[in-house]
Amino acid sequence: MKTATRERPGTTIVDVAGDIDMGTSPELRRTLLNSLKAAPRLVVNLRDVRYVDSSGIASLVEVLKEARNTQKRLVLFGLNRAVHEVLQLTRLTKIFEIRETEEDALQA
Amino acid sequence: MNCDSDREAELHPGVAAAGPLRFQITLTSDSRLLSVVRGAISEFAAISGFDDRQCRRITLAIDEALSNVIRHSYQNRCDRQIELICQVRSNCLEFAFLDCGEPADPARFCAQPLDETGRGGRGTHIIRQVMDEVRYDRVPEGNRLRLKKYLPGAEALRAANESRRGEIG
Repeated sequence: MKTATRERPGTTIVDVAGDIDMGTSPELRRTLLNSLKAAPRLVVNLRDVRYVDSSGIASLVEVLKEARNTQKRLVLFGLNRAVHEVLQLTRLTKIFEIRETEEDALQA
Repeated sequence: MNCDSDREAELHPGVAAAGPLRFQITLTSDSRLLSVVRGAISEFAAISGFDDRQCRRITLAIDEALSNVIRHSYQNRCDRQIELICQVRSNCLEFAFLDCGEPADPARFCAQPLDETGRGGRGTHIIRQVMDEVRYDRVPEGNRLRLKKYLPGAEALRAANESRRGEIG
């Protein structure tokens, strides 16, 4: 798994690529929690995520809770079929703010 | 051809014609190997006749089971041994996991409601949703988990056979 961070006014964008599993999700969690500190809105690009397991979903849930606790926003975009399916299996599609494209996410 | 093979031919001609499918992986409890296993399981499910969506779900369930062994049985130690046997049975794919770690507590399986936003516990829900049969046993060698996924068409054929038996009876 790889991550890269971009800054926009009022927003931090984290691009995530590769597989998110129990070996890589702690790094994702750290990266997203750190990025959340930098701006009032965190946008996560999951377009190049090939695989995510329940530990990856748990990391996203933890970041979402931290965002809510600090009155910030977490927006996900670019979810492919594999990521959508895991969110559906864990019945978490409704708790996240999900957009199709980066443009949609930045306008959210 | 034995009875199992006959049933395989009826249920899944391509698989039976080529002979029984089985492979076994022994791996250390190192999470870096999870992606290697995922690749093998995905291919195994595909050649057993599952579509792309089911292959992804089966792969996810096996990955979750292995992650649970690493996390709970071996408490994240990366140098322990896990055995995974994958085979096509007459009506299903069967996956058997064996580890020598701490005993699992079946009471904790799916103990956390899925709609909660807690950190853990979703893996066992995923396994139960994807797999048709889940069985955990504490055996002298350690922990044994068996997961079964009915082959495409096997469920319908079994239901039809049961219905036919009911009519005869």
